[in-house]
Formats: sequence, C-alpha cells, structure tokens
Amino acid sequence: MGTTWPGQGKGVIAVRVGVPRTLSYFSFYPLWKALFEGVGAEVVVSPPSNKELMDAGVRETVNDACVPIKLYHGHVEALKDKVDILFLPRLVSLDGKVTLCPKFLGLPDMVRYSIAGLPELIDLRLDLKKGRHELYRFLYRVGRRFTGNRARIAAAIRAARYNIQRYRKLLLQGLTPEEAFSLLENGHAANRREKGAGIKLAVLGYPYALYDDYVSVRLLEKLRLQGVDVVTPDMVAEPALRRMGKSLPKNLFWYYSNRVVWACLYYLRDYSVDGIIHVTAFGCGPDAMTNKLIELEAKHSRQVPFMTVTIDEHTGEAGVETRVEAFVDLLKRKKGLL
Amino acid sequence: MQIFLGIDVGSVSTNMVAINEQGEVVVSLYLRTRGQPIKAVQEGIRRVGEELHGSKYVVRGVGTTGSARTLSGIIVGADTVKNEITAHAVAASYLLPGVRTVLEVGGQDSKIILLRDGIVVDFAMNTVCAAGTGSFLDHQAARLNIPIEEFGGLALQSKSPVRIAGRCSVFAESDMIHKQQMGHPIPDIIAGLCDALVRNYLNNVGKGKDIQSPVVFQGGVAANVGIRAAFEKALGLEITVPKYFDVMGAIGAALLARSAVRDKQESSFRGFEVSEMEYQASSFECQGCPNLCEIVNIHVDGKILARWGGRCGKWETLKKTG
Repeated sequence: MGTTWPGQGKGVIAVRVGVPRTLSYFSFYPLWKALFEGVGAEVVVSPPSNKELMDAGVRETVNDACVPIKLYHGHVEALKDKVDILFLPRLVSLDGKVTLCPKFLGLPDMVRYSIAGLPELIDLRLDLKKGRHELYRFLYRVGRRFTGNRARIAAAIRAARYNIQRYRKLLLQGLTPEEAFSLLENGHAANRREKGAGIKLAVLGYPYALYDDYVSVRLLEKLRLQGVDVVTPDMVAEPALRRMGKSLPKNLFWYYSNRVVWACLYYLRDYSVDGIIHVTAFGCGPDAMTNKLIELEAKHSRQVPFMTVTIDEHTGEAGVETRVEAFVDLLKRKKGLL
Repeated sequence: MQIFLGIDVGSVSTNMVAINEQGEVVVSLYLRTRGQPIKAVQEGIRRVGEELHGSKYVVRGVGTTGSARTLSGIIVGADTVKNEITAHAVAASYLLPGVRTVLEVGGQDSKIILLRDGIVVDFAMNTVCAAGTGSFLDHQAARLNIPIEEFGGLALQSKSPVRIAGRCSVFAESDMIHKQQMGHPIPDIIAGLCDALVRNYLNNVGKGKDIQSPVVFQGGVAANVGIRAAFEKALGLEITVPKYFDVMGAIGAALLARSAVRDKQESSFRGFEVSEMEYQASSFECQGCPNLCEIVNIHVDGKILARWGGRCGKWETLKKTG
C-alpha cells in the first residue's frame, strides 16, 4: 500500500499504525491507541508473543541482546508488511530523572539496521528530562504525522491522557494489562479473581516480562492456580512508589529497575507479603544490580523468602514449574497451611 | 499392614519405596530409567508387588515425584504429585530431624535445601546446565572405562588432585583429557574432577547460601565417596550420607502420600495390575497457533488417559470432557 495520507477524509482508507505487543506496550498501549484513533489512524497490534515471533526475533537480532529485545524484533517482523507506519518511539526518560535501559534508547536503530523492508517509522524521541510539557509536545509531534488539524490533535491527546489514567487505575485495582485493555475497550472484564488461600506473593519484574505469557511461561497464572494472591509493581500507587525512592541513599539509573526496587521496598515495609519472586531476563544488564539489591533487601535485611526466576528463549515450563511449586510449598509449610 | 508407596522417576533412576504407617521403609528399589519412564514405573511396581507378596497389606496411598512425576502419577493413580524439592526436604527432615542443610546431587539436577527447625527456609536448584551432576560423572567413568561404583574409591587414593575446570562439562572434559595426556595418574584426575564438581556446585547452586551443620548429602551421587570427601574438604564440615540416600525423594513422596490420604477413604492407586497394562505414549504437534506445542497422549489399552504439553491448556481440558 502506498503513502496516501494525510488524506483523512470520507471514503479514504485509514492509515494503519503498527504497535508491537511487547516492551512499552504493557505500560502505554491505551495512550498510544487513543491518540492514534483520535487522529484517524487504525491501530494494528502484533499477535501475542509466540514461538514463531520468538524464532523470528532470535534470527534477526544481535546475538547478545536479551529475550525481550529479541522478541521485540519478532513483533516488528510480524507487523512490517501489515501496516503503513510502524510506531517505534525512542523512549529516553519517562520521569524526567533517569533513563530507561540503554537498549530502549537504541531500539529504533537496532530495528532499522537489523530488519529489511520496514515501512515508514515513527521513532520520535520521548525525553521528559526536557521538561514537564515534553510529553504533550511528543504526542503532538506524533499526531502531526497524521493530520494538520491542530484542534483534532489536541482532542486526541486529551482522550489519550484520559485513557491512560483510567488504565493505570485499573492496574492499581489488580487487573492484568490484558484484562484492563479489554475492560477499556469492551466495558467488561474477565471475572474478578477470588482471594487466594492465604499466601501473598510479590512478583517483581518489568511489565514486558511479567505480563507476556509466552516470556514468563504463564507464571502469574500458575501462581494463581496454586491459590496465591499475586501483587506486582503496577499495583502500587505512584506517590507510594516515589516515597520508597526517597528512602534510599541512592537510586538506580534505569526507570523500570527503580520501580522494581521501590515496589520491593513497598511490599517489604510492613511485611505484607509472604515471599518475593523476581522475574528477570537472562543477560539483563540493569538486573545485575536490581536483582542483587532486592535479594539483599528481602532475604538478608528482612528474612523474607526470595526467589529469582530467569527466563531466556529456551526456558522450559517444567523447570519454572518445579521451582515455583517448591517455593509456594515452602511458604505454605512455613505458615502451617500444608 | 497399611502401605504407602513413593515413586520418584528421575532422568537417570526410578526409585520406589513402600513405607508402613509408622513411616518405616519396608521395600526400597533403585532402578535405572533408561529413557523409558513408563516401563521403569511398571517394572518397579511389579517388583514392589513381588516383595510384598505373602504379607497382609493394603495400599493406602501413593505419591509421585521427580521430573516424570505427572506421567508416573497418571500411570499408577497417585494421591499426590509433588515436586522433588519438597519431597527431598520432607524425607530429610523426617528421617534426620534437626538437619539444617540438604545437599542433593542427582542424575540431571542438583539442589540445596536449607531447613531451620524442620521447615524449608531456602532452596536452589541448578538451571538448564547439568554440568557437575550424576550423568556427567557417568559419562566420564565410561570414557575412562572405570565402573561408576569404583570411581569414588579411586579418587580417595589420590595424593595430589589435579585442578580441573568445573564450570562447564565440555571444558571439564577437555581439561581432563589434557591432564591425562600430560601423564597425570587416573586417581589424581578423578579426585580433581570430584573437587571441580563440588566447587561448581557450591559456586552455582550453593551461592550465597548459609550452609550449617548438620549437613546431609543425598541423591544417587552420594554413593560416590570421592564426591563426599570433596564436599567435606570444601566445607570443613562433617557430612552424613543417610542409609536410604538414593531413594530419599521416593520416601518423601510416600510420606506426602501418607498425609494426603489422611482424610480420604480410599487411595486412587490403580493396583499392582498397572505393571501388566498396555501403556502407550504418542505425540503430535498442535497446529492451532504458531506456538506449535508438542502434545503428548498417554493411552491405556487403547483409551486416552491423559494429555499434556500445550501452553494454552485446550488439549488438557479435552481429557476431562472425554
């Protein structure tokens, strides 16, 4: 399909924008979606991660990248022939203080030089270190790629911000991203989960590792099937997270890593969880620090049981299952529930 | 007599025990799995049945564990199916009350379990890499043409063990060949290998763990006196190898079965006839989505008994509806 935009009028087929269903998708999809639809584009999301996408990603990506980055390449591969524009923003800083993992910063370049036959890219830079109006400016610039109508872009940005706020509220209530997306879209979500049978676990990790069922080998679901109440970093309200950050002598340099450490401190502060599981991708640079920090905090300072689950492209379900089952058994026996 | 069966099907060995209601071991078996877990379980069940023959008993409960725990659980009709970490911890704390550290080295995996006051407080298990487990020792023994039973004894004869890289079994093997071509005597090489394996275990599985006495060493590799001596040397602690070191997982499974059937009228055990039944496994690749999961069917006498292997669970559900 040719580049027929910006002809957003009656009878014109909408421009299709591709959004990979991984990495920042789990944090920002409702924002992107409302924005694109507000400016008249059609949003196309890649399918949920699967073996085919993983294989394609492993094939295309530099060898020493982590699984989530490889998978991202697979998602791009799946989208590139189905859309007119690919949305691969360069996310630099989301809180105006620290940056994301360096791989996020270089992502548009990695993709551009690894994958041939890409459609037009939106790889605008989002760096909130430039000031608190930078998000608006970023969204505006994205909107300008689709329409020249300023009022229309402004309305789309308002809708987008409203949508992301509602989304974050739903996450705080304990919904998983996919549950929240479907609630925002269709107005109804899956049945509310029943309360667990007495064990509460904090499962910490980056959204793209926790909520991608293919990557995490359905870890959250497995825990819930064992009657575990699962809490994640996304279920801690922003102000509470920030307070935890202030209690540390020094914070880490990476956005998502800080959130994991702060959430860990939050759940440990009043011993409200029975144990902590850290989900980390094999070879993750920032996690070399993050994992050690939260392990020291949990196991050594507070004697709360802690386990690391490492995932890579060869992760078998059996190994994760055995460890998780044993970990839950340990907690149940400790509490006298078994 | 009330009997509880424990079945531990691992990659290398299939172990079975029968315990009575007092928790005493009546029968204990150690078989090689030889890549055929179904056959091994059937053979084991047959032999346990023979050993018990003539005594008045009733099987009150069955528990399975090990990497083939789901498969063996379906075959025998288990009352409880538990992971091997829990099973080993239960057995160790039951047979050796007061134990604080369990070192377990099996065929394909190795684990460490820390207990305090009879409760597991921490554990670790090797990840994908099987360097420094029983199958590697097996392989090296075969390469040197030494029966695995004599392997440990030879290590004890060594005066000055050579240093061998234990990080990776491929590197370890080339290191061993190098040392052997340099003219080092076999006992020194084997003792060096034992040291390397223990070093690797303590650096990986035992990393950062607070290893306190009393320490128990179990699993098939505990039969190897060379490894045991290397552990004592590295830790500076006395190490106990329990009487039933090679069937501890099975004992744990039997004990778990005993508590699982406490408020149950009858065991789900399918009887000793399972050794005679025709079990077959077949597999196919599901084409339902790009994940292409490999689905396994377990048939008994032509009927599908169970199915697993899918990521989405749709094949598993079919089992319940028919």
